[in-house]
Parts: sequence; structure tokens; C-alpha cells
Amino acid sequence: MTTALTLDRITKRFGGLAALQEVTVQIASGDITGLIGPNGAGKTTLFSIIAGKTRPTVGRVLCFGHDVTGWSAHAVCRLGVCTTHQVVRPFGDLTVLENVRVGASFGASGRLGGRTAEEEAGEILTFVGLAHRRDSLASALTLAQRKRLEIARALATRPAVLLLDEVLAGLTPAEIQQAVELVRQIRARGITIVMIEHVMRAVMDLSDRVLVLNYGRLIADGSPAVVANSPQVIEAYLGEKISES
Amino acid sequence: MRSSLRLELVAALAVGLLLAAVPMLIPGNITLLNLGILTFLYVAQGVAWNILGGFAGYVSFGYAAFFGLGAYTTALLWLAGWSPVLTYPIGGLVAAAFSLLVGAPTLRLVGPYFSIATIGVGEAMRILMLNLDKITGGASGLNLPTVVPSKTWFYFVALICAATSYAVAAWIRTSRFGLGLTALRLDLEAAESLGVRTTLFKNLAHIVSAALVGACGGVYATYLQYVHPDTVFSFTLSISLVLIALIGGLGTVWGPVLGAVVFFVVQDYLQTSYPTFHLLVYGLLLLVIILFEPGGMAGLAGRLVARRRGASAGPPAADPAPHAEHERAPMPRADAERPGTERTT
Ligand SMILES: Nc1ncnc2c1ncn2[C@@H]1O[C@H](COP(=O)(O)OP(=O)(O)O)[C@@H](O)[C@H]1O
Ligand SMILES: [Mg+2]
Repeated sequence: MTTALTLDRITKRFGGLAALQEVTVQIASGDITGLIGPNGAGKTTLFSIIAGKTRPTVGRVLCFGHDVTGWSAHAVCRLGVCTTHQVVRPFGDLTVLENVRVGASFGASGRLGGRTAEEEAGEILTFVGLAHRRDSLASALTLAQRKRLEIARALATRPAVLLLDEVLAGLTPAEIQQAVELVRQIRARGITIVMIEHVMRAVMDLSDRVLVLNYGRLIADGSPAVVANSPQVIEAYLGEKISES
Repeated sequence: MRSSLRLELVAALAVGLLLAAVPMLIPGNITLLNLGILTFLYVAQGVAWNILGGFAGYVSFGYAAFFGLGAYTTALLWLAGWSPVLTYPIGGLVAAAFSLLVGAPTLRLVGPYFSIATIGVGEAMRILMLNLDKITGGASGLNLPTVVPSKTWFYFVALICAATSYAVAAWIRTSRFGLGLTALRLDLEAAESLGVRTTLFKNLAHIVSAALVGACGGVYATYLQYVHPDTVFSFTLSISLVLIALIGGLGTVWGPVLGAVVFFVVQDYLQTSYPTFHLLVYGLLLLVIILFEPGGMAGLAGRLVARRRGASAGPPAADPAPHAEHERAPMPRADAERPGTERTT
């Protein structure tokens, strides 16, 4: 089993606030890893650090053995690590196809020219189930479709590691079901997935391993069953039994 | 989907050939040639400015610096005995080098701050050049050789400048590079996270458009046989390029072509009829465009075409934006905070 990502004692301070403290973890290739924790725990910040959008105050990030700490976001993407945004940010003035073409033309797929990139983008839209909206403006999509577009665009960069930040938030139960299925299919393509999620049933179902952050510290790490019964985790969630929420 | 683009290119080629035939069709009309030369130079610069200002959304008020550098490079080399045909590209290269120097730090700023910085750079260059009187002739300018090529020759050179700008802009618009520029204009961070080297792309766009404008400066210098810091580095020129692109339509290839023609006609009229008011009129014009038709003439045309299609093809909802990329001309960075994206914690 090879290691896709290594986070080595990551600490991030925003002024006086320690958003992350000494987070050390290794992510195995091919796994779906769930990252959970209360709001403000530092999950999105951790993704930003991996993706090169923010530098850690202390610590190192390794992707496939490359030390990428301090790399810019585009370089990390071209190495094969792509993030979706918690607040979706489609290029609203472009069509759905053009949005995905950006990912296909750049990203880890290298320099795909016009036609090839467009074909690739079309295939990905079919894969995520957005083919019928390919010529609509991205701004005309529903929230569920925007989230799919966010995933499609990221997939088009041909990532080896995909970081999904709350792609299920705000979806209806039926839409969640479809999205969960999509995540499974993405993993079946051999893509390593780390997903931040609040929809507990979905994370627990999907994940091979669950990490729990609380106030910037990693408080639990293990299989979904083990984590769900960890007293520390239950306490962090104020006593709710998380497997049922 | 690409047919509208092909049509545009065929139309451009036809117009270009027609314009190239004008000196033969209407021989000996000096007024017409002069009009053509100046208009073509405006077209070339407006289209070039738009590569950074329209495609990438970085509105610069400092392009006179590139024009002036091109003009002075050509002037000095010409005085040293070089042939003008060689000096134009060299003027372009000098302008390009300077644009890298200016762009590397300033293109890291967000849109509005970049724009403000460029005003400073443009004015600083003008004042510097005024004071370097050993080289630039300072406040008295430089007279250039009076043995000049014919007006017809300049007509063709200016037309080639316009055609080159157009071809470069059209190529960029359809290329991977152009897609990257559009992406970074719409959302810098999203583009970056999809692998677009945004800083590199912004600088490349800046360099390419500066080189084209620099070459135009050279042509202008040899055509007028005179260079003066206050004319070739003038803030009014910088503003003119912004206006041309805005009138015509930011982000489209042919918008600034129309914009330059309209601008030139309006300017000619204003300067003769209301010489003291023409800046005020520009200001009002700018305001009206931004308020009522941010897409400029291209945006207006796009909407009219869409309406006609909508009327003939039933409900417009069937196809909201057929090949929208070439018909839209969004304001730069106006969508930084886009409504409709949900807020979560
Ligand atoms: N750019 C920033 N500047 C200052 N504080 C920030 C910034 N980004 C995040 N934070 C703070 O860091 C903490 C963790 O935020 P975040 O990673 O978004 O949490 P989560 O995604 O787990 O809800 C929060 O307290 C948040 O307010
Ligand atoms: Mg978050």
C-alpha cells in the first residue's frame, strides 16, 4: 500500500487563533478517507494547505514523496491533487462544458488542445450525469448540479487525489444518494479521495477510514465503526450519537 | 458551434483585403490615407490592449508607456541609420521587456489596485522621459529624418499592424491560453486550483499586448517624423485605449475594431467642434457605457442577434447561450462576488 499524502506536524495560526495544531497523518492510495469535525474545526483549512492555497505556519505536506509545502495551487493541481470548493465557484459566465474544459486543458492532464480537451470534458460530463446541461451557462444550474460541476471540473484535471469539501451539503436525500454513488464510481477509477462531510450516514458508509478534527487537533483516526463509538468524538459532537444523525 | 467564429474570420479577411485595395481603388487621396493610417493604429492598439484588459480583465491605464517606448526606440534607431521596418519589432521588444518589469510586481495586485498602479507607472514614464532630455529631446522633442516612405507605404504598414493585432487576439481567444485568461478573469482562485498558471498567463498577456502597442508607437513616430514625451507618453492615449475597448466590447476580438473606428470619428468631431470639452464628453461616454451597455457595441449586437433568433426560433429557453464565449463581453472582475452561490460555514 503506497502513501498518497503525508501531513507532517501541520500547524496553522491565524493571528492568535490556532486553526490547526500538530496534525500528522498519512493518506493511503486508493482509500476514501472521511474528514469530520464540528464547524470551525479546521477541516477546510487543512484542504487549503494541502492544495497550496495557504501555507502552514509549521509543518510539511508531501504528495507522492514530493515535498509540496509552499508550492502554488496550480503546481499542486498539476502534480495530481485537486480540491473542490466548499462554497462552489463555477465560472458562471461560461457554459458547463467550457467550465470542465478549463480543468481538462490544464490540470495534471497536461496540455490538451482544443478538440481533445473538449471531448474529454464531454466524457466527464456524461460520467457525472450533467451531459444534458453541457451548453447551459453554469450560473443557470441548481445547487446539486453546481456541486456536480465542481466535481466534474476537478475530475477533468485527472487528479490522483481528489479532495471533496462538503459536496453533499445542501442536497436533498435523493440527491445525496446519487452523489454518494458518484463518489463510489470515482473511487472505482482508482482515485484517492479525502472528503469533508457533515452528512454522517454518507461518510460512515463511504469511508474506509475516518479522521476527526476538533479545535484544530486530530482527536480520532480509525475505521468508521471505531470512530463512531469513540468517547472523545461523541463528546466533541455534544453527545449526539453520530452514526444516527 | 465553431461556425460563428469561422464566419467572423472570413469577414475579417474580406474587410482586410478590401481595405488593402483602397489605395488602388481611390488613388491619390491623401486625406483618406491619413485617416486610414491613424484609424488602423488605433484598431491595432485597442485590440492589443483588450488581450490583457478584456480577456484577462486587468484594466491598464498605462499603455502609453509602451507606445512611447516603441516610438522612442524607433526614433533613436532611425536616427542612427536603421531601416524603419527593422526598428518597429525592436520597439515592440523594448515595450515588451518593460511590460514584464512593470507587470511582474503589479499583476499580483487585484484588478482595481492594478489599474491604479498603472496610472502611476504611465505618468512616471512621461515625466522621466521629459527629464531625460539628452536622449529624448526633453520638452522640445526629437525631429526625425524628413526623407520618409510614402503615405501609401504607411497605409499598408498600419494595416498590417491592425491585421497582426487582430490575428494574435483571435488566435488567443480560441486557444488554451485564451481559455486560461477567461478562467482567471472570472475567478482567479478557481482557475489556479484547476492548474492554470495565472501569474504566468497574466504576464504573457501583458507582454504580447505591450509588444503590439510598442510596434504601433514606432510606426507613429516615423509617420509623424517627430516624437515628444508629452504626445507619445500621454495619459490621454492610455485613456483612449480603454475607451476603444469599452465602446467596442471588452473580451471580444472584433469589438475594439469597431470601437476604434467610432472613437476616431467621435474624437475628430469633438476636437474640432468642442476642443475644451472633449475630455468631459469621454467621461460621460464612459459612464453611459458602463451603466447601460457594459458589453459595448459587441454586447449590444449580441443581444440584438439573440433577440432576433429568439423571435424566429420560438422560446429562447431552448438554448440560452449558443457559443456564448464569443458574444459576451463581461465587465472585468465585476463578478468577483457572484450572487447565487450559497454560503455555508
Ligand atoms: N483566512 C482566515 N483568516 C482567519 N481565520 C480563518 C481563516 N480561515 C479560517 N479561519 C478560522 O480557522 C478556523 C477553522 O476554519 P475552517 O478550516 O474553515 O473550519 P471547518 O472547515 O472545519 O468548518 C475557524 O475558526 C475559522 O474562523
Ligand atoms: Mg469548512
